[in-house]
Amino acid sequence: MERNTFSYKLRQILMFAGPGTILFFCVVIVPFIYGLYLTFTSWDGVSANKPFVGFANYAAAFSDSAYWIALGRTAIYSIFAVVFINILAFALAYLVTSGVKGQNFFRAGFFVPNLIGGIVLGYVWKFVFNRAYVAIASAITGAPATSPLATTGGAMFCLIFVSVWQYAGYMMLIYVAGFMSVSDSLKEAAMIDGCTPSQAMRNVTIPLMRSSFVQCIFLSITRCFVVYDVNLSLTKGEPFNTSVMAAMHVYNTAFTYKNYGMGQAEALILFIVCAIVGVTQVMIGKKGEVEA
Amino acid sequence: MTQNEKAAAAKKRSHAIMIIVLILLFILFIIPFIMVIINVFKVKTDIVSNPLSLVGEHGFTLQNFPNAMAKMNFFVVFKNSLIITILSTILTILVSAMASFVIVRNGKWKFCSGIFALMVASMVIPFQVLMVPLVSVYGGIFSVLNHRITLILMHTGFSVSMATFMFHGAIHTNIPLELEEAALIDGCTRWQTFWKVVFPLLKPTVATVAIIDAMAFWNDYLLPSLVLTSKELYTIPIATQAFYGTYSSDIGLIMAALLLAMLPILILYLFLQKYIVAGVTAGAVKG
Amino acid sequence: MKKSTMKKLLVAMLSFAMIFAMAACGGGGSDSGDAASSADGGFTIFNSKMEIQDQFEALAKQYTEETGVPVEVYYSQDTVSAHLATKYASKDPYTLNMVDAKDIYSLAKEYGVDMSDQDWVADTDYAISVDGKVLGFPSSIEARGIIYNAEGIKKITGKDFDPASITTLDGFKALLDELVKGGMEAPVAIMKEDWSLGAHYLQQVYEEREDPEAFVQSLYKGEVDLMKDEKFNSLMDTFDVLKAYNKDKASPIAAERDLSEQGLAEGTVAFMFGGNWDFAEMKKYDYIGGAGMMPVPQNLQDDYTGKLVGGGSKFFYIDGSENTSAEKQQMAKDFLNWLVTSDAGKTFISDTCGMVSPFKSNDVACSDDLGKAVKTFADAGNLVPNYDYDPDDHYSVLGAEMQKYLADQCTREELATAIQNYWKSVTPVEH
Repeated sequence: MERNTFSYKLRQILMFAGPGTILFFCVVIVPFIYGLYLTFTSWDGVSANKPFVGFANYAAAFSDSAYWIALGRTAIYSIFAVVFINILAFALAYLVTSGVKGQNFFRAGFFVPNLIGGIVLGYVWKFVFNRAYVAIASAITGAPATSPLATTGGAMFCLIFVSVWQYAGYMMLIYVAGFMSVSDSLKEAAMIDGCTPSQAMRNVTIPLMRSSFVQCIFLSITRCFVVYDVNLSLTKGEPFNTSVMAAMHVYNTAFTYKNYGMGQAEALILFIVCAIVGVTQVMIGKKGEVEA
Repeated sequence: MTQNEKAAAAKKRSHAIMIIVLILLFILFIIPFIMVIINVFKVKTDIVSNPLSLVGEHGFTLQNFPNAMAKMNFFVVFKNSLIITILSTILTILVSAMASFVIVRNGKWKFCSGIFALMVASMVIPFQVLMVPLVSVYGGIFSVLNHRITLILMHTGFSVSMATFMFHGAIHTNIPLELEEAALIDGCTRWQTFWKVVFPLLKPTVATVAIIDAMAFWNDYLLPSLVLTSKELYTIPIATQAFYGTYSSDIGLIMAALLLAMLPILILYLFLQKYIVAGVTAGAVKG
Repeated sequence: MKKSTMKKLLVAMLSFAMIFAMAACGGGGSDSGDAASSADGGFTIFNSKMEIQDQFEALAKQYTEETGVPVEVYYSQDTVSAHLATKYASKDPYTLNMVDAKDIYSLAKEYGVDMSDQDWVADTDYAISVDGKVLGFPSSIEARGIIYNAEGIKKITGKDFDPASITTLDGFKALLDELVKGGMEAPVAIMKEDWSLGAHYLQQVYEEREDPEAFVQSLYKGEVDLMKDEKFNSLMDTFDVLKAYNKDKASPIAAERDLSEQGLAEGTVAFMFGGNWDFAEMKKYDYIGGAGMMPVPQNLQDDYTGKLVGGGSKFFYIDGSENTSAEKQQMAKDFLNWLVTSDAGKTFISDTCGMVSPFKSNDVACSDDLGKAVKTFADAGNLVPNYDYDPDDHYSVLGAEMQKYLADQCTREELATAIQNYWKSVTPVEH
């Protein structure tokens, strides 16, 4: 057999990875490179002329303090959101795979938040924070309460809360698949060997689910860093532009303030920061992965 | 009390606590959804004045559904969404499962690991960044916009990285190399080995990716709105855009459209759940 | 097992066929891009006013029936500038585009078709010309001021409300006190949206003076001391009064526009700063009638007392880029003429959509109560013109400062300093 020759392997790779890779390159990489070129122009987004300006957009991006503040804010938001999303998602996955009655029903329920996005999400949660919360808090304290959406820290809290609510069900899916891939016989063997259920969980299930953890943490980091929809529908950056996240700032710079090249440059910086964080996490996670 | 009875009692207690925790969490997760259901049967003025009342001052109305359906040309756009979602999801799963297989098994090749790293990194690019360059290339230069097939291939191209990432993890940890080797020795080609041995074992991940991607495609607004410009190709999210205004929006219609649109995904989800559960048997092979 | 594998293989084959189809299609670079467009042989319109989308589509249908020219009307939930950017990037712009005034100075300046030779130009005072070319066709007149609900006020005071009787801030405050005494605890609503506070309220500081351009230029140069500016202080004094009677005083930044407009429509709120576009929303509630508009009452009496601020709004420009053929441009011109001269067009603007027509020859009565009020002011020449040349981030940055002031997070001095610093930090807008 000629399985180890170079041309055989190359054919294999082209046959299996070819279609996916070609599509990926056409749709993601080609526009990305063109976008990269646009960062060196002072294009406004619609005009036919795209004057070349060299690194001026990067210089402008680096001195745009509002952008760096937004980026720092996004980092803080992401840390909290990622931690809580994953804790909750893991707990949910554990609960709905433990064999309780009606677990399919629960799974569907926890998944539903994923289907409520955009303006409905903003509408419902604004009601909860602005009116329901205020009414309850005023009744308890006896003094008129302020809506959390109207305060700087409160708006951040609301963004984190709603993100956790939305993504926990999504990540739960991946954790459920992870739980399911750890066979019951392995767990039972561990129990027979004298492990308590929690020990079995710590020593058998969790190590075997490492790839689920890597995936979920990576996905939640990347989702949080480029958060836009929740930001737009829930706070629109208010109050006083103190809840503008990086992606929203980028969008505004590029389109609302018609500074496309600079917006694109800021997006590229966001991408690099986010890629470094995400890829590092994956590398660390993959290192200790248990191989089948 | 014997040891066994005690253990049984403790188990029962922990089971009860678990159920209570589950129900509490369930309520928290479902409240907004219930609010949508309550309000979809009300007129706008009642929704605004009291979103919690079961029936508004203007009474119970079913009008939001036919209104939304007529305004969005429901059956046509539903069909469009269905075609695009199904084809994009199948295509994504096939090409990414195949790609991840060869990437995992040739992990030492710089080319493979390079592509994988590129895909992982690309997942962090915000879509808004690619939006204008994308239409410049495929609309401005190649003029292939406004075809369903373009949207399907673009959907696939954008989601192939995440799906590959997920299949990569699954193949890496859950598919024993020995199985493949056995198949190869039995005279299978790589191609046959993949479809007969590896792919069936990936069922739980296929189901997970199918749900995640189908949901993303079904609800996506931005990409379809860029690609599909003629109204007879519109998908559900584009067809409902006229409900959203800068200065006002028709919240009742939006909620009705949301409920009409989310049913297929919920059904798909419940259906695919079976395959995720079926993963138990698949995983047992290696045990 | 075998069978299902075969099935999967089949699906895989099909998918590859699709990829090749795409490659062939893309490589060919055929003009199939707009083949499926239903406006073939006709032209396209971009509408950026969501509340008239249904009516506009009906009008397009009527136009096609009358003239045989196919028209498609589009709307997008994305930001107008972002949406048009993608349309130009894909070389598929709309023939006729409805945009805001300041987009005419950027977008239409580059792409717009000169409409100077059109008959309607003489019929309006609100068209936008750039470098001697008429580029913007005004679709309506919109104006800002205080919206009131006379019915709601009458319920409390027992007297008919005459907006003309309120000429000063003191008079306004006396009425507010009377309303509070009568049981309307908080007669005022303030929108917290940055565009309302920044681009609509604060904007009046630049607009209500002899030479707004000169004032803005001196703001750029950092020569203005707002704390010593009569107009700024006068408007902020009024704003303080509005704040004091705000129904959302406890957390003004959580105010919801829906609720404020509902209150205004149902008469539980007497006053709100806004514009005639708010009526499209107000009428969706249990509107009790009596809505109207009056100038923002100020103690400073000058040439602008008794006037609303506003003018032409939502302008159409015709795309003149290489992507739009001369025939399509002509079709768009014909449509605009039809909109001005035909009975159907006049009725559409004034009655169906309830907008205030900027054309003198349009004698169809405006169907919206706020529109009627604006029309009265416009006909009497009592509109202070808009100033359209703010930097693009003005509404957002200074809207946020105004929000701080609204929430008592900064003093008037701090607000004034923030405004001055903002203007000093931005590059002047060329126009």
